[in-house]
Amino acid sequence: MNALAWAILAIPFAAVFLSIVFPSRIGRVITAVSGGATAVCIFTEVALSADGRASLDALSALFLLPVAIVYGAVGIYSTWYVRAESIGVDGDERYRREFLALTNGFACAEAIVPLLTNMAGLWVALEVTTIMAALLVRLQGTEASLEAAWKYILITSCGLAIGLVGVVVLYASGVGILGSHYTPDWSSYMAIASKLDSDALRLAFLLALIGFGTKMGLAPMHTWLPDAHGAGPTPTSAMLSGVLLSDALYVIARFAAITNGALGTSVTQHLFFIVGLLSLFVGAFFLLRQRDVKRMLAYSSIEHMGIIACGLAFGTRLAVLGALLHVINHAGTKALAFLSAGRLAARFETREIAGITGGVAAMPVSGTLFALAGLALAGMPPFGTFRSELMVLGGGFSAASWPIAAIVLGLLLVAFAGLVRWTMSVTAGELPSGMHRGEKDIGAISSLLLVFLVVIGLGLFVPAHLAVLLDRASAIVGGRP
Amino acid sequence: MLHALTMPEAFAGTIAMLLIVVQLTLFRSVVIGEFLRVYSLQSWLLAAISLGVGIVEHGWDLIALAVLTVIFKAILLPRYMQWLARGISVRIELPARINVLLSLLMAGALIGVSILTSIQLPLHQGAFLPKADLATTLSMVFLGFLVAILRPNALAQVVAFLTLENGLFFGTITLAPGLPFVIGILLLIDVLIAVVVFAVLVRALVEQQAAVSVSVFERLRG
Repeated sequence: MNALAWAILAIPFAAVFLSIVFPSRIGRVITAVSGGATAVCIFTEVALSADGRASLDALSALFLLPVAIVYGAVGIYSTWYVRAESIGVDGDERYRREFLALTNGFACAEAIVPLLTNMAGLWVALEVTTIMAALLVRLQGTEASLEAAWKYILITSCGLAIGLVGVVVLYASGVGILGSHYTPDWSSYMAIASKLDSDALRLAFLLALIGFGTKMGLAPMHTWLPDAHGAGPTPTSAMLSGVLLSDALYVIARFAAITNGALGTSVTQHLFFIVGLLSLFVGAFFLLRQRDVKRMLAYSSIEHMGIIACGLAFGTRLAVLGALLHVINHAGTKALAFLSAGRLAARFETREIAGITGGVAAMPVSGTLFALAGLALAGMPPFGTFRSELMVLGGGFSAASWPIAAIVLGLLLVAFAGLVRWTMSVTAGELPSGMHRGEKDIGAISSLLLVFLVVIGLGLFVPAHLAVLLDRASAIVGGRP
Repeated sequence: MLHALTMPEAFAGTIAMLLIVVQLTLFRSVVIGEFLRVYSLQSWLLAAISLGVGIVEHGWDLIALAVLTVIFKAILLPRYMQWLARGISVRIELPARINVLLSLLMAGALIGVSILTSIQLPLHQGAFLPKADLATTLSMVFLGFLVAILRPNALAQVVAFLTLENGLFFGTITLAPGLPFVIGILLLIDVLIAVVVFAVLVRALVEQQAAVSVSVFERLRG
């Protein structure tokens, strides 16, 4: 790793300790600065990687982008959040410090994952994210947050246990060629992929998909996700959905690259189809019956992970490019949706969809941005998600698997109906009586506007550096680095 | 072709068999203390395997891990969890429709699946326990899942997860002895699960004066 990559880890790591030491009024500024500085470092590193001047490969660089977008926004948003949402929680100052320290720690853990290519190291890094996230989810100390944290840590730990068996099987399959003591780096496996035993590779990929797919929220291993996203603090929900799911996908993509390089793409495609379609199905139909705005967004995450899995399953160049671009688009859009939903929930003092009406009238900026985020998640133009979903579907219809593409399109329409219905329900309508109009929190609003620039920007054009990275990353996932 | 087992192979094979037999006793245990004793005994066996592999492969890190395993997993954590659970009901309800015999039959089927899966794979080069290492690992992981599924009891599920982790511990030592840092992390996760999750869970159950059933964690649905 170069100095910039170390800085990406060192900045939030230092912010953890500073947030503990200093009072929360200073800690929240430190968190905002840390988020911004980390984002700048990541964008610079990604640009260097696209120019071939960084040690990171395209896949790592691409999966760092969600960290930059979401942590950058969450850092600034937290300046408002720790003042607004912690009111009423016992031990306010302690809660605030813990929240800020854990948020910075969570961001640091999430940034480690895409920087690694050591397959065992990836498992360790994901375990660290589990610990940090569980502590954040239970931070509010309510019965719901305790239950969500319990389910989260046990279900994802069981998933990661299966993922570790996949790592161990992969390691054991390389022992005959690389010796009994070797570093399980991804590039080592790619170099000997054709010599690895095909049955062992199939088993390793299956275990990795089930294990790390649990962490990614793929159905049917998704059951922790709506609870954790719903019960945790709002910035944590944004980081869970926008970054953590993509981190788990990054690990699966590394496994897929080795398997594709050795066996061709048919093994991974079949398995991606199964989990992708199941996730789309679960996400789309559960969206229709939600009552809680954050749980609605959580089911939307499952749906979008299904879209990405289906894109990888179609296997055409266009579909894989779309799936990888969707990782970035989903991160930005979901961060915007969660953060703006958190603002509405704080103003209306409820997360129940039925209890929030006239969101735009009450909060012109946050309400409007939530409406736009909802439409973007539903796949409407001109947002980035529209572009990447179109690429996935276009790639699917151009392949032999067009009947599956038709099913995907049908499920997307179901999800569209659910998302648009609930988004309109929350944002449309008159200002509720007794509620004041307007909002003044510059920090929170500016964080929302910054993320919105990403959401709309990637719909209008794809920057040249990003296009280069997407092209190279799709080749890596296909097993042709 | 059959060949005579070497002493390390025979030692490791015996321990592997004992690990599974010990885990099978969870299907008839009805008190949390027994669950914790099973976890402790399994951890002693794991320490023996780690020591054996460390001596054969001259790996001081594995020998150190054997010592840490005894201290933390075999002695301190089970006692700490026993101490935590002293204030709550220790009986663990058995599932209504699945008795011990049926549980054991299901466990046997899972062990069979593990063996059939493992014999397909040529993962024997350089491994300490030829032909049985992956089968034992998968069996322990599957049995851990089965216990967690069959016991609707939060504390039992935590201990079942810890025995599942012991399967991973075993698999990493025997199949991937070049990854001692992973084993170290597994040890840390056990400590975390025992100290944080178990403690939080017990506190919540005591505060809510609830039964130890996981039904206290069924509010979030849909």
